[in-house]
Amino acid sequence: MNLLALSISHNSAPVELREALFLQKEEIDEFINKAKGNLLTEGLVISTCNRTEIYGFPAGNEIGFEHVLKFLLSRKPVPQIKNEHFKNYFSKDAVNHLFRVITGIDSMLIGDNQIYHQVKDSFLISERNKFSGFLMKRLFDAAIKTGKRAISETEISEGAVTVSYAAVQLVEKIFSSLNKKAALVIGAGETGEIAAKHLKEKGIGKLYITNRTLEKAEKVAGNLNAKIIPFGNFKEFLNEYDIVISATRSEGFILSKDDIRLMMKKRNYSPTVLMDIAVPRDIDPSVKEIDYVFYNDIDSLNIIVEQNLAKRKDEIPKVEKIVEEEAAAFFNWYKSLEIAPTIKNLRDIFENIRLEEINKNKNRFNPEDQEKLEIITKRIINKILHQPTVELKKLNETGNNSDEASMKISIIRDLFGIGKNSVAPNEKEDNI
Amino acid sequence: MNSFIDLLNILLPFLYALTFTIYSYNFMKGDKILINSKRLFLFITLLLHSIYLILRVIAFDHPPITNVFEIFTVLAFSVCFAYFILELHTDIRGTGPFIIIISLIFQIISSLFIEDLVEVKEVLRSNLLGLHVFSALIGYAGITMSAIYGLLYLILYKEIKLNKFGLIFNRLPNLEILERLSFYSAIIGFVLLSIAILIGIIWLPTAFPNFSYIDPKLIGTFLVWILYGIGILSKVFGKWQGKRVVVFSIVGFVIAILSTTLSNFLAQSFHSFY
Repeated sequence: MNLLALSISHNSAPVELREALFLQKEEIDEFINKAKGNLLTEGLVISTCNRTEIYGFPAGNEIGFEHVLKFLLSRKPVPQIKNEHFKNYFSKDAVNHLFRVITGIDSMLIGDNQIYHQVKDSFLISERNKFSGFLMKRLFDAAIKTGKRAISETEISEGAVTVSYAAVQLVEKIFSSLNKKAALVIGAGETGEIAAKHLKEKGIGKLYITNRTLEKAEKVAGNLNAKIIPFGNFKEFLNEYDIVISATRSEGFILSKDDIRLMMKKRNYSPTVLMDIAVPRDIDPSVKEIDYVFYNDIDSLNIIVEQNLAKRKDEIPKVEKIVEEEAAAFFNWYKSLEIAPTIKNLRDIFENIRLEEINKNKNRFNPEDQEKLEIITKRIINKILHQPTVELKKLNETGNNSDEASMKISIIRDLFGIGKNSVAPNEKEDNI
Repeated sequence: MNSFIDLLNILLPFLYALTFTIYSYNFMKGDKILINSKRLFLFITLLLHSIYLILRVIAFDHPPITNVFEIFTVLAFSVCFAYFILELHTDIRGTGPFIIIISLIFQIISSLFIEDLVEVKEVLRSNLLGLHVFSALIGYAGITMSAIYGLLYLILYKEIKLNKFGLIFNRLPNLEILERLSFYSAIIGFVLLSIAILIGIIWLPTAFPNFSYIDPKLIGTFLVWILYGIGILSKVFGKWQGKRVVVFSIVGFVIAILSTTLSNFLAQSFHSFY
């Protein structure tokens, strides 16, 4: 299989280069439309903040990695970029790499299942641009199956691996359903926004945002359909919140032990979660001494993150096994595409030789014997080809080692000159 | 039939031990395959246990409540059955080992010492007595489960407060659910104890000539009943919640066990048959 993959990711290049090469959806569309037919017959372009990868079948024998790279850089010039910032994969390695990417084991954040959706979206872009042919569609199905198996059969994507998500995971260990709970996020910076977003995704009943700069709070609140509380008097309503997440850049504590004690009294000691994900901290850590107050700061949340990351790392061998199985299944299928045409071509060659010799010599036989000659020569050809045909079919039915199968097919094709004067089966398939 | 009963009597502790091991293994490892199949083991154990109890009723012509070891096997069944229903209803599967171990202990004691009595006091053959004892036992199973869930609540509460994110944190359901499970179990226990007390008050004076309202078991059960009544009402009216409710449930359970043990083994009254 002449599938090639060109990849720039966190494994090979620094963030500034990855960012510079990031392709927006419109840029991917444009790339595909220019590359289609000229560079690649069919393919796939994945571009996220951590990786840009191009998979495809070359449009001609002369096209290699350097052509794809040159084409990419001509569309998205990045002066500092060098060849060593890219990794190249070919054939089985390219399939394996794609499967590793979709399962999240090649991600910076191991098991990040966002990549699964991003690869899926990339396939849809290829399909929409008619850049996805027979082989690519099959590769898409196999990749999706691999990604789904990794999610359902292993724990590669389980547990929070970011501090803001760990905060939400901890909240879920205290409250059974968040839809009847109210949460306040103090600080509308990036961390606060992510935490608010996670709460919204988990179906929080009421979400409030407060921030020193009102405009910033308005922007975040608008995106998440949350209410704004003026920063000046947010403490007055503290008792109304079951969850308080604080992520400001304040130098000192903005919530003291007395504030929380008063809050708990007003709440009749109903359980309250305080998540301090600010550095330096926003909430006096001694509040954890108050009954029914569940206080966590960034250090304690990091314990959860590290535990979950360690668990995910332990799952990698299981995922690698799935990748291996699915790649083998994909290549077995691909191999079956080659076997049937090889048998047919082999038989055609022998039949042509037989017909040629009969036509040359049939006048030497009388009409009754010509019929017998036809039968006998056909029988000879069948007997000669019986064993190779059985062996080839066996490769298709039982062969798990696709390399061995490919080698045998390749030897037969070389020995008998199959495909040299005609279109190779995989080239035929490429055009389906 | 008797030999089959004997066989089940030997088999049941092993079945409970196997179910307990599977639930515990799943709790420790979090294996995805066992998460569904472990319920099947519990179901088979309960099915064979119910067959065992029915066969005892048929073979010995009285409900299995005539001695403490018969009561232990009924208790083992009640606790696990109540848990099974709760697991099916709530789909919370992480608390099994903590409940099943109670049944395992009861069943081991029962299987070791149970006797096949055919001759029992006539009063012990009464259906009303059967109903009275069964409702009391299921009531006690309810408050046992309430106490276990309460204990799990306290452990998890402590772990979260101390930022310990180990096995307990990862496997147990959240605090609100544990509190709810403890509360619902207490309600079931309270309702069934109420039924047992009601039947007792109506039927006991007519069945026993030496009936007395100052019987220690009666007073003990009534005290436990009042204690749970106060706890449940306080929770319903929003006065108590969280830790206070579960501590109350644990204290109630300890008092219930103490009062039953003391009244059964120390005091001699019409209420003691063995």
